[in-house]
Amino acid sequence: MMNMRRMSLVSLLLALLLAITACSGGGKGSGSGKTLSIMWWGPDERHEATKKALDLYTQQHPDVKFKPEYMAWDAYWQKLPTLAASKSITDVLQMDAAYLQEYVSRGQLEDLSDIDLTGIVDPGVLENLKIGGKLYGIPLSQNAQGIAFNKEDLAKYGIPLPHKDWTYDEYFQWAKDARAKLPEGKYPIGDTTTWDGFNYYQTAMGKPPIMADGGKTFTLDKDLFMKFYQTYEQFRKDKIVPPADQAASFLENDPQADPMASGVVMTRGATTGSVSALEQLMPGKVGVVNMPTGPAGGGWAQSTIFLSVSANSKNKEEAKNFVKWFVTDKDAGKTLGLTRGIPINPEIYKELEPNLEAKDKLGKEIYDQSVDKALPFYSPAPGFTEWVDAYKKEMDAVTFGQQSLEQAFDKIDKLGKELAAKAGS
Amino acid sequence: MKLKSKVTNHLFLSLFSLLMLYPVIWWVGASLKKTEELSLPTIWPKTPMWENYSKGWHFSSEYTFAHFFGNSLLMEVGNVFGGVLTAAIVAYGFGRLSFKLRGFWFSILLLTMMLPGQVTIVPQYILFNKLGFVDSYVPLVLPHFFGGGAFFIFLLVQFIRGIPRDLDEAAKIDGASVYGIFLRIIFPLIKPALMTVAIFTFIWSWDDFFAQVLYISSVEKFTVGLALRMFIDQFDIQWGQLLAMSLLSVLPSMLIFLFAQKHFVEGIATTGLKG
Amino acid sequence: MVAETKTTAEAEKTRRAVRKRAKTGDTHLAGYIFISPWLIGFLLLTLWPIAQSFYLSFTDYSLLEDPVWVGTENYVNIFTNDSTFTKSLSVTFLFVLFSVPLKLFFSLLVAMALNQKLKGMNLYRTAIYFPSLIGGSIAVAALWRNMFGLDGYINQVLAWFGIQGVGWISNPDTSLGTLILLNTWQFGSTMVIFLAGLKQIPQELYESAAVDGAAKIRRFISITLPMLSPVMFFNLILGVIGSFQTFTSAFIITKGGPVNSTYVYALYLYEKAFKHYQMGYASALAWILLAIVALLTIVNFAASRYWVFYESEGGGTK
Repeated sequence: MMNMRRMSLVSLLLALLLAITACSGGGKGSGSGKTLSIMWWGPDERHEATKKALDLYTQQHPDVKFKPEYMAWDAYWQKLPTLAASKSITDVLQMDAAYLQEYVSRGQLEDLSDIDLTGIVDPGVLENLKIGGKLYGIPLSQNAQGIAFNKEDLAKYGIPLPHKDWTYDEYFQWAKDARAKLPEGKYPIGDTTTWDGFNYYQTAMGKPPIMADGGKTFTLDKDLFMKFYQTYEQFRKDKIVPPADQAASFLENDPQADPMASGVVMTRGATTGSVSALEQLMPGKVGVVNMPTGPAGGGWAQSTIFLSVSANSKNKEEAKNFVKWFVTDKDAGKTLGLTRGIPINPEIYKELEPNLEAKDKLGKEIYDQSVDKALPFYSPAPGFTEWVDAYKKEMDAVTFGQQSLEQAFDKIDKLGKELAAKAGS
Repeated sequence: MKLKSKVTNHLFLSLFSLLMLYPVIWWVGASLKKTEELSLPTIWPKTPMWENYSKGWHFSSEYTFAHFFGNSLLMEVGNVFGGVLTAAIVAYGFGRLSFKLRGFWFSILLLTMMLPGQVTIVPQYILFNKLGFVDSYVPLVLPHFFGGGAFFIFLLVQFIRGIPRDLDEAAKIDGASVYGIFLRIIFPLIKPALMTVAIFTFIWSWDDFFAQVLYISSVEKFTVGLALRMFIDQFDIQWGQLLAMSLLSVLPSMLIFLFAQKHFVEGIATTGLKG
Repeated sequence: MVAETKTTAEAEKTRRAVRKRAKTGDTHLAGYIFISPWLIGFLLLTLWPIAQSFYLSFTDYSLLEDPVWVGTENYVNIFTNDSTFTKSLSVTFLFVLFSVPLKLFFSLLVAMALNQKLKGMNLYRTAIYFPSLIGGSIAVAALWRNMFGLDGYINQVLAWFGIQGVGWISNPDTSLGTLILLNTWQFGSTMVIFLAGLKQIPQELYESAAVDGAAKIRRFISITLPMLSPVMFFNLILGVIGSFQTFTSAFIITKGGPVNSTYVYALYLYEKAFKHYQMGYASALAWILLAIVALLTIVNFAASRYWVFYESEGGGTK
């Protein structure tokens, strides 16, 4: 039996616990002040900088206080749908381009078109970000898609480094040539089974993106599809890309399983925002180049991270003022530094430039190389996440030899058309 | 026991333990590695990075892990206390007493286990949100005070049904009521099983990440499980520190298991059934 | 679903009846008083979310918008036009079929080995329980890759014998088997419950059997097994219920891949709900799973009359 003294100690602790939790319930906005709730994801560095920026805002605007909430990427996207379901999304929230359309199309985000960003964000960039003519997220930083390569190993085996604005043909030829010089167990390029890999190709060749008009138009060009993946099929036979079961075991940015950091593959896709993680895994060995191009261009270079305002917010005006301040204020810019990538506001970036570290410079280099050939950033259309998953699974089945390219194409095309028909109705 | 069989037993158990413990050995080694070193197949790093532990401990600038451990333990006190107390009571009702609709309610109890939690978590969140309990430990602790969960109730019911009724009958003849029988006979006899309930409650709620991430939003209230996720971002994972701190995070459960097992292992054997 | 308490001794019955008359209604009330903690919690916290999920299974619900009633559309689609449903269900059946018996057998075996008086036994127990402690930890994924990767520990050992290993987790032919193995490796909880059950068996039974000169195996069959059957039954029922909902290892280690080979039912359901924003559809999937598991549990309870022995019910099989 638990003795009485211990029992009462436990109940005391319990009462304490309930008291603690009870106190923390209230506390929303006293007097004329407003409390803005705000939520973002990121690493600890970003948390610290952002909290300091929030304090700075409160100093400048004593009537606005914050209730910040921050977590890691996975947890963020696990939690957000539940918050949406209970109509309790925070007033201000960080958004990612991959999810923006989904949340906009479901009416979760506030129209921010009336925030004046002249002189802060390039009008062309803003125009590009609009959905149905309206702006739902204030861009925070520059991002771009490129390719990282293992410059140390390539030099060691006498393989020429990739050059800016290479074409898809040059890319494939480079891979074939590199194969001849690499030892067994190393591969010049990785396999591709995700939808965006092919979407880059299709758009670079001047065709429309796979998903357009908010998912109402679906275009999967069969000729290009067959040509692209037949090339890879041949590459698998010629050991230019790793075998399927090895490819399936890769996990980017994992020290053991990253295709490049593990020394197995010489190149892989990387973005301005993500390349620094790779650089940390293999310091000093990473070089970057922009995406292979076609007649229409290639890759993308634009903001993919935003601040948005919840459509259910009760403090919309304050929230809008805050998000504008967040990208405009110089002191805020200094406080935030590069914690969300290269700041969108050119003046703020200029002040930070002297302090860039090697890992940040790689990201900037991807952006600089990509920007003149860049195509728009294409995200999955609303309602297409299941198609995105299905695409990968069907293509994986091809790499494992479980079905033919033709069969995979038919299934992917059919599902895409069904979803487009649904979006159109 | 004969000496020879004792030796073979020890030999067999040590070998088996070592096999089961391979992960810990790997884990300890990995937690002392530099990130670049993790891709190497070696178990031990060239120069151990002890600072993975100190840096990891002070990872968040506001709180050290001591704070998060404190939070987790506070939550656990509630969970274990609530679970052990109420599961025994409810299990006695189901396992020993006959009352109208007992079969029906017991079926419902089992059914609640069969519906995947993924589809009730959102309505439950909406409920707790309306009650104003979000960002507190209430949604995490409160359910433990309502029987501690179907798993434990069912477990104890099975143990109670294994206790001979002669004991109750004898007590009844001595004039004990159903409450008396529970307190004086059943409760002491199922103590080993209750210890199991306590240990499992502790271990399972320690890393019940899904519920915690949903209900706790301020860092001040973060549990160890939540704090650990702060090492992981989209691209950027502090592996050494993550592995170091997550190794520390299983220590409380391990220590509890190590020291509490004495109670469930020796409980009955020493008490004896015909007490 | 629950076998009513039955006593075989007639005298017992009459004695009871007499006492029952003396305190009419007493046990009904007492019964409800005892189960009230659960009952209140059920009515307050559990019933509404469950009812809600049942309602949602008849709606189109993205979580981001209000649900729209669609009748039985979700169910019809699942049964007629969803190959992933069929695939994930068969993956899950395979998982249950192998992992439940393996885990039961293995954990009983180890529990017996650990149920003896030996110095340092608590250290052995803790060591063997350890893998189950780290169940959901993030480190597990990294560890498992380290063991079963292409140049992982297992393949290094195989290489000594000249065997060329495969990427155990990343090969669709072996990935499910590897997950079943992982699940079996974490047999600790089941084992602890067996251990507690073994401790509840009165030593006198063994002592008198030893006097009779019964062999070890005989003692196991005629004493241990029947006395342990309620606990065995518990582990079986919970093993089935839990395995049908297996999620964590597939979620953190394989993400269901490669090519759906480990796409277990609960993972499919989770992705439908929180990744594809189809909570209505996911709810329908959940209720179908509930029906399947409930059916199997009923069968198990019915079968239990023939092999589960309750000391409190005196007679064993009836």
